[in-house]
Amino acid sequence: MTSKFDERFVNGTARYVDDLTFPGMLYLGIVRSPYARARIIDIRGGITHKDLPLKLSSVGEGATEGFEFLEHPVLANKYVGYVGQPVAAVFSENRYAVEDLIESVDVSYEPLKPIMDPEESLRSEPMYPGLKSNILFDKYRGNDFEIKDAPIVLEDKLINKRISANPIEPRGVLAAYDGKRLTVWISTQSVHSIKEGFCETLNLKPENVRVIQADTGGAFGTKGGIYPEYVIAAAIAMREKRPVKWIETRSEHLLATRSGRGAIGKMKLYADRSGRILGLKGDVIVDTGAFAGGSGEFSAPFIAMQITGPYHIRNAYIHAMSVLTNKVVQGPYRGAGRPEASFFMERMVDMLADEIGKDPVDVRILNATTAPFKSPTGLEVEASRPFIEAAVRELEYEKYRGKKGVGFSFFVLVPATMPGESAKIAVEGERVKVWLGGNAHGQRHDRFVETILKNELDVPADFIDFQLGDTDQTESGVGSWGSRSAMMGGSALILAARKLKSQVEAKHGRYSPKLLLQGKWEVFEFFNYDKHLNSLGANLVYAETGSLGEIRIKECLSYYDVGIPLNERNVINQIVGGCAQGVGQTLFEELAFDDNGQLITSSIADSGVPRADLLPRFKAKLHRNPSSLPSGSKGVGESPTIGVPSALVRAVETIAGVRIRETPINQEKLLESLRIV
Amino acid sequence: MVEKKHISLTVNGEKKEADVEPRLLLVHYLRDNLGLTGTHVGCDTTNCGACTVILDGRAVKSCTVLAVQANGKRVLTIEGLSPDKNRLHPIQKAFIDKDAFQCGYCTSGMIMTTFAILKKHKKLTEEEIRAALSGNLCRCTGYDNIVDAVKEAEENVEEEGIELEEPEPVRVRR
Repeated sequence: MTSKFDERFVNGTARYVDDLTFPGMLYLGIVRSPYARARIIDIRGGITHKDLPLKLSSVGEGATEGFEFLEHPVLANKYVGYVGQPVAAVFSENRYAVEDLIESVDVSYEPLKPIMDPEESLRSEPMYPGLKSNILFDKYRGNDFEIKDAPIVLEDKLINKRISANPIEPRGVLAAYDGKRLTVWISTQSVHSIKEGFCETLNLKPENVRVIQADTGGAFGTKGGIYPEYVIAAAIAMREKRPVKWIETRSEHLLATRSGRGAIGKMKLYADRSGRILGLKGDVIVDTGAFAGGSGEFSAPFIAMQITGPYHIRNAYIHAMSVLTNKVVQGPYRGAGRPEASFFMERMVDMLADEIGKDPVDVRILNATTAPFKSPTGLEVEASRPFIEAAVRELEYEKYRGKKGVGFSFFVLVPATMPGESAKIAVEGERVKVWLGGNAHGQRHDRFVETILKNELDVPADFIDFQLGDTDQTESGVGSWGSRSAMMGGSALILAARKLKSQVEAKHGRYSPKLLLQGKWEVFEFFNYDKHLNSLGANLVYAETGSLGEIRIKECLSYYDVGIPLNERNVINQIVGGCAQGVGQTLFEELAFDDNGQLITSSIADSGVPRADLLPRFKAKLHRNPSSLPSGSKGVGESPTIGVPSALVRAVETIAGVRIRETPINQEKLLESLRIV
Repeated sequence: MVEKKHISLTVNGEKKEADVEPRLLLVHYLRDNLGLTGTHVGCDTTNCGACTVILDGRAVKSCTVLAVQANGKRVLTIEGLSPDKNRLHPIQKAFIDKDAFQCGYCTSGMIMTTFAILKKHKKLTEEEIRAALSGNLCRCTGYDNIVDAVKEAEENVEEEGIELEEPEPVRVRR
């Protein structure tokens, strides 16, 4: 079946932000800091902090407030904290002239020594006056404990390095102002989050801001919240009374778009000789970057909360720290703390299995929960043992048991359910328009919308026009992130559909799709949800090495509990795409900086986005344990980026014969251990 | 201001003439001057392939070709792929049938690369298709469905007996 929705992506008629053009439109360019840490002595030319003395408000997934003195300035205020930080802005009617204007702005700096490593930062003088240390935020999860005479105590330091989300469409925004109202077209995961960001940063009334989603070419966490460039574009549009467009280059994306991961886990695991885990202690250190306002403050305690995974661990105590460095602010990237937590735990479980000489999967089964369990760190997990037993069966683990090159991972996905989501249905002229409060950036929400409207209202797909996000259409909404949309948006749509059905019945005494389509209707519904709704997953990877030491993945298998899949094909597509990102993080992807804070991996290729020829064919099987939601669905989008890295690292580790502690796997060390170099 | 250069080329079968800055990239000529926004820009280092178009029969990354370099040549973009405006080209149809995109941003480039692959090769193995696609990055799909779409596109093209040629010039429009 080909719908019009599909066609525009294959015939060039989709409209991404950069495809939109208005008469009199200006292009915006940003002068960025070439230094990771410096005082600004003087700026000649361009629009600067003096003209726009604004600070970024803090919105988007996991964003927190309360660090006013460390809020990110929209344009640098006498100081820069990372390479790529916006310092000045220029504009012109011509894209190319903007590049010339950027060159014309003269900024003099007094460079300072940057701090790039979060552990070094912990030992260093505070970066900003008024701070006692470079810990921006810290929190303890669980309760301190002592286990005397534990037969086994294992310690290790594990690292997920910073990586870039790298959607193929970089960020972009187009702002227009009619003298009263600001209208913004944007590539985003959440028009409502972006609107809130504009209102707070520019001090605008909500009724005077409209945010419309353009076709969005991927986001993976990075397009959920407000950024300096968006605010600058809006401010210039308001001042000049002309539309202003800003389109990010890839170089800018790698430098100045909030990047993900960047976490260290220093773990200490207590166990007995049978492999039963007795306790877990550790420090979680998140490399939060140079300012507050990303997800850095949120993600350290979030990692700590879920670190016990699907296991019955009665004693746990974690010190979670967000630590300042001279990098762009850390932000969510597909998983956003979930992959880090699982990587730290799963690496320790494999270490334990090696220590006692048991099969790693048997150790996982032994420690799986046999009844609903709330861990000391706060993670709620259902009985996980029946699931891992099903996974072992469905993934045919017995075929792989004991082989070199095999890795297995087991995890809990904690989706961002709260506080729920909104949906709207409007019927007119025999067309059914649907909006969701959170906005798809490639996940094809139109597919589950079709399923739900077929199930609830018996409306065929041909009559449905799935709409992009628009704050004038949905009075409130949350966002598309944290594996939440089919669960929360789907449930909101079901409630809206049921309300609509009852309205048709009230008017006509009965319901039929014909009665619906012949009328004019409009319903909006917000589905409130304030609980966690976790799900389980497992991955199996089987890999070999080629003659040059390159990793060749022969099998990458997924087994995830997705509840009721609202569109099975789409769920599989999400899993396959996520697996590619999981492999990318493990083998190729990194934002690497030198000691001066300069980005070494400064192209999309160097930063490691995997090519078709470097990836295997992925296979997925679904576990269907319905959730209690109206949609019956469970989260899935982030499962592969949680499960694949741990399984793949283990697979490579058994080939290399040396313990692997970080992603991406250090290729040089790997080749040394394989005796290739 | 550098002196503008006169160019004359064929885009999707239509003759085009323009005076352009020598530094103008082909992709910006197509997008900004001609409004052919189906060709996308995804990087600035010739890695991602979102801007792939066919230039005199070969797939090129139009972000690394100057408009003046296309002078006297034929350009085919996603908008001109299907000879019949009301019908999808068999390659486009294969991309829909196989779910070969999620966000769609890399898709035009993938389709144009597929055009170039199928113009030159037949019955490629999975490994060969992956190698042939290695100049085009996709961040959403993990590539499996794209590889399937290339295979299906070959069957579609054969079944429909369509020649993978750029259209000949039909009329002059300035």
